[in-house]
Amino acid sequence: MTRHTAHISRTWLVIIGLILLLGAGTVLARALGASTSVLGSSSAPLLTHTQVAYPTQHSWVWPVVAAVCAVIAALALWWMAAQTSTKTVRSLPLEPDHRHGRTVLPAATVTNAVTDELESYPTIRSAGAVLRGSSTRPGLQLVVTAENRADPVIVRRSIETEALPHLRTALELDTIPTVMRMQFSRAFDRHLA
Amino acid sequence: MSDTPGHRGPTLVIPQRAGPPPRQARADAWSQPGARRSARRVFRPRRTIPGVLVAAVLAAAGILGCIWAASAALSHALWKVPHGDFAGPLQTTAHWSGTATLAVASAVAFVGFLLILIGVLPGRTRAIPVASGDGSVVIGVPRRNLRRSLSWLAEEVPGIDKVKVRAGRRSVRVRATTRLRDTTGLREQVQAVVKQRLAALDPLWPTQVKVKLRRKKG
Repeated sequence: MTRHTAHISRTWLVIIGLILLLGAGTVLARALGASTSVLGSSSAPLLTHTQVAYPTQHSWVWPVVAAVCAVIAALALWWMAAQTSTKTVRSLPLEPDHRHGRTVLPAATVTNAVTDELESYPTIRSAGAVLRGSSTRPGLQLVVTAENRADPVIVRRSIETEALPHLRTALELDTIPTVMRMQFSRAFDRHLA
Repeated sequence: MSDTPGHRGPTLVIPQRAGPPPRQARADAWSQPGARRSARRVFRPRRTIPGVLVAAVLAAAGILGCIWAASAALSHALWKVPHGDFAGPLQTTAHWSGTATLAVASAVAFVGFLLILIGVLPGRTRAIPVASGDGSVVIGVPRRNLRRSLSWLAEEVPGIDKVKVRAGRRSVRVRATTRLRDTTGLREQVQAVVKQRLAALDPLWPTQVKVKLRRKKG
C-alpha cells in the first residue's frame, strides 16, 4: 500500500542523510582543526603519495571498489523500484484451495462494478477505483467526484452503506480498507436543477 | 435536510440559505485516536519524488563507479581517467583546510541535513481528512478541490461576484467581492454557506471560517 512506500522512502532518506551529514561533518571537523589528535592535522594534503600509490601496488583494491559500487547501484535500483511500485492487484483468487486448479477473477471486473454503481448515483459524476496490496487482503482506493451542490453527508453515506457493502459481499471479505478521495465538481444541473 | 440514507429524491437540493441543519457536532470516528492517526498518516506526503531522485543519483554513481573501477582493475581505462594518479591535481594542491574542501564538505552536510528533514518532517497533508462513518474507510478532500468547491458555493450567494478561498491548516479564509451597494448581511451569508459545507464534511482539524468582503465599484 501507499503507506508502505512512504515508509521506505522516508526511512532511506533519513539513513542516507545521516551518512552524508556524518561524513561531511568529520571532514569539516578535520578541516577546521577541531581535534588534531584524533583526526590529524588540517594543513596536510587531502591525499598523500602513499595513498595514491596504494591501488597500483595492491591488485585487490579495484575489484573491491567495483564490487562495492555494484552493491550500491543494486540497492539504489531496488529502492527506486520499491518506491515506484503501485502494488496494484490484477486478479483475485476465488478459491482458497489451489490443488484442483485455480479460479481467478480479474480485478478490473470488480473495480468496474464499483465505479458503475457509484456513477449510477445522481450525486456522483465520476468515480475511479483500484485494488491495491495483496490479492487475498486487498485495499480499495477510490476517487469520487461529486456534484458540488450535493450534500457530502449523503454522498458519503450512500457509498458507505451501499457500494462498499456490495463489494464486500461480492469478494466475501469482512473489511476492505478503503482510502477515498472525495472531490467536487461544479454542478451543471444534470440532476440537481 | 433529511437524513435518509437514500441518494435519490428531491431531498438532494441543499436549501442554501436555510439555517444550518441539526447535525451532531463531530463524527464519532474522530473521538477515537486510531481513526485520527490513520487519517493523518494516509494523506501525509510520501516523499516519493525526493526518494526516487536520490535513488537515481546513487544508482548512476554506483554504475559509473563500478565501470570505472572495473576498467582500472583490468588496467586499461575505458575513458580518460588517469587512475594511476587518480586524484589528479588533488594530491598536490588540495589540503584539508582548503576553501574547496570546506565548501564541498559544507554542501554535502547541507544536503544530508535536508534529506533528514525531508524524511522526518510529516509535511502538509495532500488532502484534508474528513469524517467517515466506517472505521475501515478513510476519506480526504484534496486541498485544491476544497478551495474551489467552497468558492463555487460562495459564488452562488446572490450578489457575490467572485470568491477566492485559501485553506490553511486550521482556518479557511474567504475573500469575496460584490458589486452591491448595500452589503448588509452578505458577509454572514457567505460565512454561513461555507460553514455549513465544512460542518457537513467534518474535517479532522476543526476549521475557522474568516470572510472578507470587498465592494467593487461598477
